Amino acid sequence: MEEQKNQLFNQQVIEHIKKGKEVWMQETLKNKAGDQEYFTEAGIPIELLYTPADIGDMMYERDLGFPGNKPFVRGVYPNMYRGRLFTVRQLAGFGAPEDCNQRIKFLLANGATGVNIVFDLPTIRGYNSDDPEAEGNVGVCGVAIDSLQDMEALFDGIPIDQISSSVVTHMPSTTVALMAMYVVMAERRGIPLEKLSGTNQNDFLMETTIGSAPEILPPKHSFRLQCDAIEYAAHNLPRWNPVSYNGYNLREAGTNAVQEVAIAIANAIATAEELIKRGLKIDDFAPRLSFFWDLCNDFFEEIAKCRASRRVFYKVMAERFQARDQKSMLMRFHVQTAGITLTAAEPLNNIARSAIQGLAAILGGAQSLHIDSYDEAYSAPTEEAALVSLRTQQILQVETNVVNTVDPLGGSYYVEYLTNEMIKKIEDYIALIESKGGLVAAADSGWLHREISDFAYQQQKDFESGARKIVGVNYFAAENSATKAIDVFRYPAAEERQKAKLRALREKRERRQVEKALAALREKCHTDANIMPAMIDAVRAYATLGEIEDVFRQEFGLWQFPLV
Amino acid sequence: MEKKIKVVMAKLGLDIHWRGAVAVSRMLRDAGMEVVYLGNQFPEQIVNAAIQEGADVVGLSTLGGNHLTLGPKVVRLLREKGVDDVVVLMGGVIPPEDIPQLKAKGIAGVFGPESRIEDIVHFIHEQLKQFAS
Repeated sequence: MEEQKNQLFNQQVIEHIKKGKEVWMQETLKNKAGDQEYFTEAGIPIELLYTPADIGDMMYERDLGFPGNKPFVRGVYPNMYRGRLFTVRQLAGFGAPEDCNQRIKFLLANGATGVNIVFDLPTIRGYNSDDPEAEGNVGVCGVAIDSLQDMEALFDGIPIDQISSSVVTHMPSTTVALMAMYVVMAERRGIPLEKLSGTNQNDFLMETTIGSAPEILPPKHSFRLQCDAIEYAAHNLPRWNPVSYNGYNLREAGTNAVQEVAIAIANAIATAEELIKRGLKIDDFAPRLSFFWDLCNDFFEEIAKCRASRRVFYKVMAERFQARDQKSMLMRFHVQTAGITLTAAEPLNNIARSAIQGLAAILGGAQSLHIDSYDEAYSAPTEEAALVSLRTQQILQVETNVVNTVDPLGGSYYVEYLTNEMIKKIEDYIALIESKGGLVAAADSGWLHREISDFAYQQQKDFESGARKIVGVNYFAAENSATKAIDVFRYPAAEERQKAKLRALREKRERRQVEKALAALREKCHTDANIMPAMIDAVRAYATLGEIEDVFRQEFGLWQFPLV
Repeated sequence: MEKKIKVVMAKLGLDIHWRGAVAVSRMLRDAGMEVVYLGNQFPEQIVNAAIQEGADVVGLSTLGGNHLTLGPKVVRLLREKGVDDVVVLMGGVIPPEDIPQLKAKGIAGVFGPESRIEDIVHFIHEQLKQFAS
């Protein structure tokens, strides 16, 4: 029988093991297991010992499969890291684009294999560097981009036709503008769009739920722009990932591993429904959907999360949306180690935390990786700290041998059990979101904000009570004297330079062309048409980011963040 | 009955990370204080809200690197409006070497990562004592 061939374990053997475990508990273990109960971070009880009986009904090909084959639990590519190592993608972002360009080149010169750009808050929130609201934030925590000329300066001399760029645009309203700048920048350098390889973040939850801001677009408009960017890429950018569903920042803001994955996949479901409504087929866009996970300290749970997320995504795409193209069903994801786990006390300890999380990312089958730097509880990393992160990645790649066999924890009774549990919990949470009317409605009502806030509050209480231990903080707390002072990165002053460039730009550009392009963009806001063509025209005319975002703020109106 | 301590809590400027501000707000409520959470605001609006609400404490949260510019501005605007009995606190990712400068400019206390709520509550009570007489 087909079923018998697939069954991992003979059921008679399972019965035998169950009985054997009973005997072992009574005769060998006795009372040595202790009374304490243990749980994973997501609340799954941890047994002292797992055996085949915990995964007794698993079928190999149905539940695990071979790497590169459905359901992709063991990995999305058949040869995994032997074929291509995960991309070493360390974040860079500070100062004016000319400053940041130097850091990108430094990282590439030292062996980074991809670019990863983070923007300053005025850019993310859609304000020019000379806007009063930008005061104090220009070139801080990220690089400042005001117009196409800044995008050109940022990527000057970077071979974007050969290496991939992650452009961490956060919100859809900024994504559509920055993506247009990237496209026009490439065009001017004579690089065909089909050669552009990279990723935008483009997640409407970053605009409406995870990040807060003085002025926010309503969820339905933000979600529309998210889908516009994905639709545009489906037609024009075959190697571009126009979305990176951001579980990472959900986790950092306050969710557990189950919620992180479930909310991100619920966003992919909402996207697919919307784009199918617009007339696209699932296989037109699903192959370029990508994900972004946060790997915290619960080592095996994080690995199980990565494996489980691939299975859930496979089921959603294959069963619910009836995808035909294999590439539509395989989930690719980037990992960043968990900023939330870094401590300001004894900062060098963070090197150990980040390395362990990075190892979990590899055992979980990540496609690219950023390892946080030890000084990030103080500021953006210094060059020295950034180099330690880069070296940690390289140590994992060439000194540990962990990359040379696929899914080495596959078959571990515990990891397989945990993977199965995570799958169930992720699917349950997706169903819960759908019972709230789907993800857009769940954000609009504030339900999602409450879920995040409740988790953050509970975690802080657990920390204060000592139930959650953090080394050097509430477990063997560092004496002040024991914390060696570290060098803190100071941002290069960028505000005045950016302001001067904006003044010069406004003199230089064709005023009438800018006005015409912005009027066309404004008109498109109120139609069902995709915003991207009008956006590309506006960017080409050197409309500034702030001018573009003002159009959105005026036309879509602002929304009150439902959090008190 | 003693009047509840009133706290106005804000995310400073454009900084997007609300986790700490919301968690601290909820825990100050647990400690018996009244907390008005403003979300993201700029110094002018924060000061107006603090005056309208009759706040005893203003909490400013930022992980966005704008602490040196916008933090002291809140204190300055309060003083300009003749308010000098409000305790202004900051929290978030703030390099320790910046703390003396913030204190010199009127920020009463800075609570970085790993701060404990009981320390913040204790600090608020101690600070308010000086205005009590």
